[in-house]
Amino acid sequence: MKRNQSIIKIGFFLLMVFPLAVLAQQAKFKLPAYEKFKLPNGLTVYLMEQHEVPTINIAAVIPSGAVLDAEKQGLASLTAKALQFGTKSYTKAQIEEQMDFIGASYNTYSGKELAGLSAKFAAKYQDKVLPIINELLTAPSFNEEEFSKEKKRILTQLERAKESPRSVIGNYWDNFMYGKHPYGNPVSGSVSSVQNLSIADVKSFYSKNYGPNGAAIAVVGDFKAKEMKAKISKLFGKWNNSVNTAAISSTIESPKEARVLLVNKSDARETTMLIGGKGVSRNNPDFVAIEVVNTVLGGRFTSWLNDELRVNSGLTYGANSRFSTLKNSGTFYISTFTATATTKATVDKALEVLKKLREKGLDEATLQSAKNYVKGQFPPDYETPAQLASLLTDMFWYNFNEDFINTFESRVDGLTIEKSKEIIQKYFSAENLQFVFVGNAAEIKNVVSAYGKVTEKQIKEDSF
Amino acid sequence: MRKLFVTLLVALSSQLFAQNKIDDVKTFTLSNGMKFLVLEDASIPNANMYLFYKVGSRNEHPGITGLSHFFEHMMFNGAKKYGPKEFDRTMEYNGGANNAYTTQDVTVYTDWFPAQALEVIFDLESDRIANLAIADNMVESERGVVLSERSTGLENSPWRMLGEAVNATAFQEHPYHWPVIGYEEDIKNWTKQDLEYYFKTYYAPNNCTVVISGNVKFDEVKRLAEKYMQPIPSQKPGPKVHLVEPKQTGERRITVQKQVSSPYMIIGYHAPEAQHADYYALDILSSVLSNGNSSRLYSNLVDKNQLATSVFTDYSPSFDPTLFSVYVSSAKGKSTDEIEKTVYAELEKIAKEGVTATELQKIKNQKLSEFYNQVETINGKSNNLGTYEVFFGDYKKMFTAMDEYAKVSVDDVKRVAATYFKKSNRTVGVLKSNTEE
Repeated sequence: MKRNQSIIKIGFFLLMVFPLAVLAQQAKFKLPAYEKFKLPNGLTVYLMEQHEVPTINIAAVIPSGAVLDAEKQGLASLTAKALQFGTKSYTKAQIEEQMDFIGASYNTYSGKELAGLSAKFAAKYQDKVLPIINELLTAPSFNEEEFSKEKKRILTQLERAKESPRSVIGNYWDNFMYGKHPYGNPVSGSVSSVQNLSIADVKSFYSKNYGPNGAAIAVVGDFKAKEMKAKISKLFGKWNNSVNTAAISSTIESPKEARVLLVNKSDARETTMLIGGKGVSRNNPDFVAIEVVNTVLGGRFTSWLNDELRVNSGLTYGANSRFSTLKNSGTFYISTFTATATTKATVDKALEVLKKLREKGLDEATLQSAKNYVKGQFPPDYETPAQLASLLTDMFWYNFNEDFINTFESRVDGLTIEKSKEIIQKYFSAENLQFVFVGNAAEIKNVVSAYGKVTEKQIKEDSF
Repeated sequence: MRKLFVTLLVALSSQLFAQNKIDDVKTFTLSNGMKFLVLEDASIPNANMYLFYKVGSRNEHPGITGLSHFFEHMMFNGAKKYGPKEFDRTMEYNGGANNAYTTQDVTVYTDWFPAQALEVIFDLESDRIANLAIADNMVESERGVVLSERSTGLENSPWRMLGEAVNATAFQEHPYHWPVIGYEEDIKNWTKQDLEYYFKTYYAPNNCTVVISGNVKFDEVKRLAEKYMQPIPSQKPGPKVHLVEPKQTGERRITVQKQVSSPYMIIGYHAPEAQHADYYALDILSSVLSNGNSSRLYSNLVDKNQLATSVFTDYSPSFDPTLFSVYVSSAKGKSTDEIEKTVYAELEKIAKEGVTATELQKIKNQKLSEFYNQVETINGKSNNLGTYEVFFGDYKKMFTAMDEYAKVSVDDVKRVAATYFKKSNRTVGVLKSNTEE
């Protein structure tokens, strides 16, 4: 496989060419018409008709993510999952049987800032599915037996995750970058924190944080907006658990010195790494310009990082860079991996590429290529009802509107060489870089200590 | 990624296919044998080109294992008009992106681009099919990339290591024996001559099916295909894969060591290829076992008895007889013996008692939903059409597959369970930390 776009369960059957983490955005595409309104209880509703395929997609978001975990890490995630353990009118098994029978899919989950629900079903079953969706969000019964079964599964999975550097390095990174700020909370929690969670914690987290005010639901698909408006208003209008929606502090300190977090995995044959620093929030006015510049650095196959680390030197299967954005902050990082013995060569090359970007900037042809690429890869990101539904809830949460779509092309085109220089100096900093390495510490400790003050952890230790 | 095909391969009868009908797909074959499938779809201003080459690790032999996949990488390393790096640079400059993947059976190249870049894409693809340059220095640096790909797969996924071991045990003579990525020592040792032979034999227009979907016009596609692809000469087809796996006559077991907190298990049964009459019944059986929380294995192993944290099954279309596999991640502290017994009990229950009519209807409904998921994007359309054409022998079967599922009866499911889920037909693989106990 040329690029490895997702972690694939049965990877040995098929190999792609490049581990891609590219945020390709683009153009010539207008957001289809949609309706937005607020119910009296504060719930924001988006409706968008899409008649290409006879299905309906739902995306709902509630600001009750892992940032609210405090000392009970993993609670938001477990609560979101527990929404599926039965409701006022349906047992867990009844929900599963009914939804499976009609080929409907649904999920409830928590991320860093938001909890959410997604669902997809044939339009003809909407009157069967909508009441279930409604109860999942508004009337969960939190069956205790199901809770303890799920908790056991999570504990096993948490231990397992540490067997794969790729699946945990992000948690180490967030913790290293955000420290005690709630953005540092690992969504999954850790073995010891999840061990201590009880069904009472889940119930209390739910009643404190799940309410219509501050939440949004987007329905996209094959329906008549007028009819859907009546149905949603009737079902969700009865949800009346008004909750406190205080904003998360946006005071996040920038790193004052270069630091290294070395996570020892004694059986590792390669070193997995992230290198970077402070990034931007999702609604940063320079977001599009940053994405264009990042396309050149590490956002596509011919990016400078992939070209140097993979194509020219064969050090790795892939190298990329990205801006990971949240509502009030974000981080920037270069991401790659290499055999243990080539750790130093790989880090040095990555730093060299970043330095080149800062010192030389972009030439006209490179900038033009990045613009074309970003525009050309944009429409497929918003092709399906599911993609459109999550775009609408993103607009709600991150506070942007359809201008992002409708003016995307002109914003991309508007980026000049002069402006790109400012963007690079402002957002692609090489000062006080932060490094996270997961690898064999005995082999690489001397190498990595050259890059900053080292903190060492054992991957087998609990937490991140 | 093979898993993806399970869901891709689901289709439905033409009257249910909301948007496209059989007649919407237009085809032509060039004089050099290259076949094209074209589906016009103006829903977004983009288009794609999927090139399916009928070459995969089944065409290899010991000494050159992994060469098909390595070749997939080499196809990006320079040809006559577009030298090293120019393929990707030109495509990206024109707003396009690409990827490629290799399986046991096929190598597929995928280009996604704004529709107005269609001619550039034809120019790029025809250049490398007609005149690939195999430069020594590119071969050497690409070896490093592939060794890193192999290593990172093993580092991050227990399934990869265990799956390779199970395939190697279940297939003793047929080429599905070795991993798609190849043996480490083969990756380090194949020669430029090996690559040149491979290119000439398998990267011939008559060994390729091209699918194009998106905001394009059929006549324009045909004109460009004639201009760019037609001049490329066809080649004598490569040698037929003559090895046939002998019937397995007794259970086989394999244990693999890796530092893990709880064991992983794969149970694989020999099962037939995509064009076999039992394909649809087995595919339905796979969903009965593991699709959704109400499925039989999930409900027993994960929910009721808490023996596993996850379970899934894989039965994907293939050219030659393949494996129907059950994958189990064990729950902490549970014995793999007990897990095994429970899996067998569920399989035997279906072989003896069959499934219920409701259960069968559930799976048919799920197949329809899966199909909609796959055809709501132009990429899903191209991948689906190409997969039916190459694995099932005719893209039109995509439009009638739902009829094939509809024909499967409760008795068919029972019969295939009894036929294939036999002790003597299975290979059991366990991956765990302590293999001395």
